[in-house]
Amino acid sequence: MSFSEFLSSRKCAAIELVEILGRSYDYVSILGADTKCLSVRADKNSCSISEGSDADSGFVIKLSRGGIFFEYSMDDLSGDMAELAKLIDSSFPAEAFEGMATLDRAALEDAPLEKDFCRESDIDEYSDEALLSFCKEQKDSLLSRCPKLLNAIAAVSYIDTHKLFISKNRRLTQHYTWCNGVLLGIYKDMGKVVQPREIAYGSTMKEVFDLLPTRIDPLIKKGDILVRAKPITPGVYDVITDPSITGLIAHEAFGHGVEMDQFVKDRALAQSYVGKAVASPICSMRDGAASALSAASFFFDDDGVLAHDTQIIKDGILITGISDLSSATILGTEPTGNGRRESIRRKAYARMTNTFFEAGKDKLEDMIASIDHGYMLFETNNGMEDPKNWAIQCVAEYGIEIINGKLTENYVSPVVMSGYVPDLLGSISMVSDDFRVIGSGACGKGYKEWVRVSDGGSALKVKVKLG
Amino acid sequence: MKKVIDILKATEGISDWKINLHRRESCELFYIKGKLDCVRRTDTTNNLVTVYVDSDGCRGDAQFYVYPSTTQADIRRSCAEATKRATLIKNAPYTLPEGEEGEYSVESNFVSYDALALAKDIAAEALKANTVENAAINSLEVFVTRHCESIINSRGINKTQRRYDAMVEAIPTYNGEKESVELYEQYNFSNWDAEALRKEISEKMQEVKSRYEAAPPAEKLGCPVILRSEQLSQLFREMAWDIDYSSVYSRSALHQKGDAIQKAGSGDKISITMLGSIPGSVRSACFDADGLSLGSAEIIKDGIVCAYHGSNRFGQYIGEKPSGALPCIKVEKGSLAPEAFSSAPALEIVSMSGLQVDFYSDYIGGEVRLAYYFDGEKTIPLTGLSIAGKLSEVLAEIALSEKCALSGAYFGPEKALISNMNIF
Repeated sequence: MSFSEFLSSRKCAAIELVEILGRSYDYVSILGADTKCLSVRADKNSCSISEGSDADSGFVIKLSRGGIFFEYSMDDLSGDMAELAKLIDSSFPAEAFEGMATLDRAALEDAPLEKDFCRESDIDEYSDEALLSFCKEQKDSLLSRCPKLLNAIAAVSYIDTHKLFISKNRRLTQHYTWCNGVLLGIYKDMGKVVQPREIAYGSTMKEVFDLLPTRIDPLIKKGDILVRAKPITPGVYDVITDPSITGLIAHEAFGHGVEMDQFVKDRALAQSYVGKAVASPICSMRDGAASALSAASFFFDDDGVLAHDTQIIKDGILITGISDLSSATILGTEPTGNGRRESIRRKAYARMTNTFFEAGKDKLEDMIASIDHGYMLFETNNGMEDPKNWAIQCVAEYGIEIINGKLTENYVSPVVMSGYVPDLLGSISMVSDDFRVIGSGACGKGYKEWVRVSDGGSALKVKVKLG
Repeated sequence: MKKVIDILKATEGISDWKINLHRRESCELFYIKGKLDCVRRTDTTNNLVTVYVDSDGCRGDAQFYVYPSTTQADIRRSCAEATKRATLIKNAPYTLPEGEEGEYSVESNFVSYDALALAKDIAAEALKANTVENAAINSLEVFVTRHCESIINSRGINKTQRRYDAMVEAIPTYNGEKESVELYEQYNFSNWDAEALRKEISEKMQEVKSRYEAAPPAEKLGCPVILRSEQLSQLFREMAWDIDYSSVYSRSALHQKGDAIQKAGSGDKISITMLGSIPGSVRSACFDADGLSLGSAEIIKDGIVCAYHGSNRFGQYIGEKPSGALPCIKVEKGSLAPEAFSSAPALEIVSMSGLQVDFYSDYIGGEVRLAYYFDGEKTIPLTGLSIAGKLSEVLAEIALSEKCALSGAYFGPEKALISNMNIF
């Protein structure tokens, strides 16, 4: 698999532009993106093949002067670079920012590095016909096996990312792919309609092709579960989380709160807890593009910082947060390779990548057996962060009631988990010895800036408010 | 775009084509605790090309992107590839909108401003609006964007619209002896009104002070709940999504024409109209992605589903004259006078993590970050609580305000009084 011809053809122009702008600015870098996507889908009535909305092409030029970052996003580096440099420079007239209060920053490091990164993929081996046939087969298989399905949707997709990073001292390229598959049913029974779904993912399409067919029976079973599920009686319960809900806790309850651009803004309570206990001592958590091979695994971030594997919580103690380049220059810390942009049109922020709780020592069956009355929660629906005040809202698709140490046939849905983060993390009393990172998520910062993420971990036993 | 059109016309096998062009030019300012952190300018163009292929009585389509950097050879290659892909797709046939041309502008006074100057003015007004002692805006982001959107198709559609929007994301924070607290504010507008922005931000600063003073309820509350327009927007939009053409076609819609969306009860009957534009809404548009001119469609009348709505293709699939993808929603006012919201004990929700509305599970609820509890005599700020209820029971008894407000793409009752909610 070869690196983007488009970006390769603009590399010399980027180097020249960095050199010209470097005469007027303290720091200059250029990020180029050429991201191609394909989404193939089939349902009972229709099918489609389309380039996905994650497609991205263009450049963002990042400049620094006088403590302020300036960025210019554009489609192409073409024509005379001296003229382009003038256009960019004239977009940030110095007089417009004279006298404005700015932030104290450390000088930007630009350590020399020249490297081309590539993670091999197999997407070229799958024709459009093969992808469409596969989706149709899965959809037909679902519909033929369950008459209660009014409709069934099978879809596969991939994102093929190519990025170029040029600064005065760095010449980096990376190329990697991530594949996803999803099955969705419109399931009707007992006068109720529900939408069970199952997912598959991997760095190769083969993994999706292997896994998705095995999710058909679980999807039908889930439809049966959801249609019989009842509202939960609100209250505080002993709860076991499946890896998906564990990941949701890692991500929403704590992960957003250690994004260090929030530290700079005094928006994260976690800042004052570095070196202190924030969770049960049996709890450890990591984040990093290099922490796991999943949806947010890359080789360098959108600031040109190499991927890290960051230990966030170790034995219940908060070790560090995760940062982009800008927040690191203000805090005087090392950037951790977490500077990520939704697209070249958007700003880079400190963002999570692959975020998870590490495996523990307990057996899941022992964890369930330890509960007299509570619930085991399954499958992320959504969540919302509150890094400043550590309130949480995490929504699970469904839960199963545990009575006298055994899972029952009593299902509840949906289940909203809420409370105060330290209470939740402090209540972790058991951590299972299995482990899974789920690579199919996307995450916003606040209500915008969507990027691909993964999260997960082991099953946790916690005490939390459900409603 | 001429080179793309020429290639599309010359490519064998294409029955129809469509090009959606979107140029965005933005100026963005980012402040941290009142200090300028970052200035961004963007000028980018996305062109999405769709090719349609008719074969065996079916229609297939496939899309590809064209950027200003895309070469003619790459366009030819993408066009051939998309044509091949579209040939694989055997969907029920449908036609494209035909023969309308026009240039439109969504009303905005931004046209008379320089983008950088306007962004600076907006930031300055937002930062000035903080008049609450011990309160601060820890993070402020200002986005001023000019959009130029065009659609051209093989059937004579050729339309262009220009529109503007601004978005202010502010994080009001209150610092005191206790742990400081914050709220989230996102304010979108397409007409620059400094006074309106100051009022919006000032209210948020008061609210963050209230959150600082708030505490969890001392005892379990059992009173009606008041939802504000932001939450009502979400509730009513869920209703609208359920009855769009694609939901009906895919059989995921829970309601059909003639169905009551509210069970019998004493609540106000809900009437919803989908619209192309609402004055002042940044979502307003003159036409949709297929080029259909956008008007209005009443979809729920007095609690009964009276029509579906949605895009060209799925409208044709279910035998309806397509309304177009209508981005705005208008809900008819209700019966409650403003004083009715403060005459009896009630919990008014100011800020939530997010209102969860699930018609499938008959659920409404979520975690509350700030609420005002009126106990019959005084108003007490509360935090650390959640609400949950059965959506069907809530809708049966919902009482809507007679006063209306704009919230994003929603114009309708400013508040609603709902009962049968569990507060915990």
